[in-house]
Amino acid sequence: MTNFQMTKDESITNDEGRPSSFRRRSRVIERIAFWSFRLATYAIILATSYIFLDITVKGARTVFTTTPPFINVPFLTEKPETLYVFDYQGKQKSLGDREFRAFQAQHPNEDFHPSTVAYSAGGIWPCIVGTALLVVGSMVLALLIGISSAIYLSEYSRDSRSIRIIRIAILNLAGVPSIVFGLFGFGLFVIFFHWNVSLLAGWFTLGLMVLPAIITASEEALRAVPQGLREGSLALGATKWQTIRKNVLPYALPGILTASILGIARVAGETAPIMFTAAYALRDEMPWQVQRWTDFFFQGVMALPYHIYVVSSKIPQNEFTEHVQYGAAFVFLVLVMLIALTSVVLRERSRNRLSW
Amino acid sequence: MELAASAPMVELDEHRRHRIRRLTEQGIRYFFGGNAVVAIVVLALITIFLFREGFGFFGENLRSLRLYRTSGLEYVDIIRTQSEKHASLTRSLNRIRLKEFSAQLERRRNNEQAQAELAPLDQFATSFSDAGEELNGLVSDLNDDAMGLKEALASRDEVVAERDRLTRAGDASAAAKIAIPVVDSSATVTRLRASAATFRLTSSTLAAKLSGLLNSSPGLTSPAAQKLFQSWKKQVRDYVATLPTAYQELNIWDPARPVPWYRGISAFLFGRDWITASFWQDWYGIRPLLVGSILVSAVALLFAIPFGVAAAIYVSEIARPSEKRLIKPYIEFISAIPSVVLGFFGIAVVGEVIRRLSQSHWLSWISFFPISERLNVFTAGVLLALMAIPTIFTLSEDALRNVPRGFKEASYALGANRLQTIARVLVPASLSGIISAILLGFGRVIGETMVVLLCAGNRIEIPDFSEGLGAFFQPVHTMTGIIAQEMGEVVRGSIHYHALFMVGLVLFMITLAINYAAQKIVQRYRMSIG
Repeated sequence: MTNFQMTKDESITNDEGRPSSFRRRSRVIERIAFWSFRLATYAIILATSYIFLDITVKGARTVFTTTPPFINVPFLTEKPETLYVFDYQGKQKSLGDREFRAFQAQHPNEDFHPSTVAYSAGGIWPCIVGTALLVVGSMVLALLIGISSAIYLSEYSRDSRSIRIIRIAILNLAGVPSIVFGLFGFGLFVIFFHWNVSLLAGWFTLGLMVLPAIITASEEALRAVPQGLREGSLALGATKWQTIRKNVLPYALPGILTASILGIARVAGETAPIMFTAAYALRDEMPWQVQRWTDFFFQGVMALPYHIYVVSSKIPQNEFTEHVQYGAAFVFLVLVMLIALTSVVLRERSRNRLSW
Repeated sequence: MELAASAPMVELDEHRRHRIRRLTEQGIRYFFGGNAVVAIVVLALITIFLFREGFGFFGENLRSLRLYRTSGLEYVDIIRTQSEKHASLTRSLNRIRLKEFSAQLERRRNNEQAQAELAPLDQFATSFSDAGEELNGLVSDLNDDAMGLKEALASRDEVVAERDRLTRAGDASAAAKIAIPVVDSSATVTRLRASAATFRLTSSTLAAKLSGLLNSSPGLTSPAAQKLFQSWKKQVRDYVATLPTAYQELNIWDPARPVPWYRGISAFLFGRDWITASFWQDWYGIRPLLVGSILVSAVALLFAIPFGVAAAIYVSEIARPSEKRLIKPYIEFISAIPSVVLGFFGIAVVGEVIRRLSQSHWLSWISFFPISERLNVFTAGVLLALMAIPTIFTLSEDALRNVPRGFKEASYALGANRLQTIARVLVPASLSGIISAILLGFGRVIGETMVVLLCAGNRIEIPDFSEGLGAFFQPVHTMTGIIAQEMGEVVRGSIHYHALFMVGLVLFMITLAINYAAQKIVQRYRMSIG
């Protein structure tokens, strides 16, 4: 024992009790390496924080105002309009579509020669509504199918060949690019089923896209429920379904929903799958302005991510368009981030709390 | 008496209830099982529908290529290629002039002096570009002939297809009524052929003119421009030397030579051009898109791998627990940033920053700086790295955490320090997990649409690799981007439409292959760790 102590001391220190040069060098190298790892990590965090900050600062100018009620209500509650820019009495004026017509009606004898900028006036209300509709519908669909198949995989299946194939299919489905889902939705729902560009087609496309994530998350939550709960219930004579309904699902449900919120963020954030299945660049009616109730399912909607794509690529970048671009991006980012944040916080909390 | 009668009744009832219950249980089981199969069904449907919509493409492409040959478009293109080569030489001459001009300005000449200095070069350039005029004229003369023949042949093919359709439908009398127009291609072909002699004459005068010009070329002052001018002269000499070969090609060209069946496929997989909605001839070659996708992914991975893996090592091995609790959710949180917002940020901020940076003085030693386009491979790649980092980080961190504790303890017991343990034990032990994380990150990047659509510049061209790394600062178009951009405007059922589905199919196959490789590697890793 003493002998061991001796050798250890010898290897670390020389006579003066200072680290040997070899030790010192390797410690310096370790330091440098650790610092570079640390720097890389913080570089990622800084870069993302800068993105958040930039969009927040510039977007807040559109969404918030300095006068009460401090929120730019028209931007959040109106439809997108074309902006008219013209000179009037030596001053440059920019008005939205309706305002410009009213203005023209007041000055019937003048010709303003306005230049127009598409989408740059008004607000983004229809886009918010459309995104909400898409998210709700597709999540209902994905949760129904996803939880059911997770129940089958975790409660009923035994490790057989067919189950392995199902698992491989789920894994591979998770890796399919979103644009391929868009093509698939276009080919199957829009063309083959003749649903045209519609909410229904968007629901199915988005729902099937998040399905693998929902299945994986739900299965994990189901498996976290201790086996004893099932065995106790079965021993009392309950059937399999009774056991699942009364003793497994209630305990797994919080976990399932928490993990599924991240799926909501993904559904809300995707643009490519809805580009040719559900989204319109501009539509005058709101989704509830339909003649028959069945038409509701077969109408295309405006969606926030698609709107951002349109305003950032189809119209020029200048002082008149910037506020709508940043405003839309900001609102969208806040919505998606809030959803994601809820999921992350809930998961962190459940990680600490749930221990069987 | 009553009791005795009711006992079997109860038993029967019980029996029946039991049966119903068992059936319900069975039904529920099958319901869940059916839902579990949805994943397979969807995967199969994706494959089927991509094939269904894309399948007609190869046949149509082959027909289009055959028409290209029989109508003589191919013949005209042989001459056109020569004329275009000349035009591109003129363009590079202009670039040299620009370089010389800026060199003059740098030597504190004012604008007029510099222009005066350049007068001989300008004259040289003008006579160079004028020399090609006759060739251009020849091409535009032939254009109409070939185009007319192509249209006639195409409309005849349509009539034939219509008759075949009627015949198949059993309506023989209606089919017989359709008269197939006679297209006399031989007249046009003869006319085209006759131009070979003209081409020979034109090209030899062109060659003579160019050689004459080369001998009396003006001198330049800037060394950089001189160097470019030298290599340009060599290119001109090469060009002059290839003119007779073009004449040979014209002579052996034969409209009746069959186009082999595999050309429909190989022209798609290896074609260098993606040209659609052209008045002349559409080309559907996936190569520029594939190269674009790969270049963008390469840049993205170049950034994402070191940063993602370093962050994973830092969080799992080095960071304090309190740090870890913050960093881990934050990086996972990044994956929720919508790609369209990142793309918008790229257009609004990153592109401009990169261009400004490339114009800065202290980076002027890099040969391809300043860059001309703010939206290019690099811009898109940097932003995509941000999308790949969460994937690579999360999975690598998992792999590192799953290395058995004993490995680490054994390493410490042998006297290794933390860095040595990380580098020699932990990373090698989790290497397959990290590699599969990188592969999945690659799959994420190559399938990403909005960032590349907004930030990659959308120019359908294979970047010019002669500039070396400069290729990474040129705009490209990608497979995902082209689908997103053109799918909305394309005529349903046209060859272009089918081609886009084919591109989707290729993309689908690539991601499946990447996924498969990642899974295989992980499986192996599980076995080796035990």
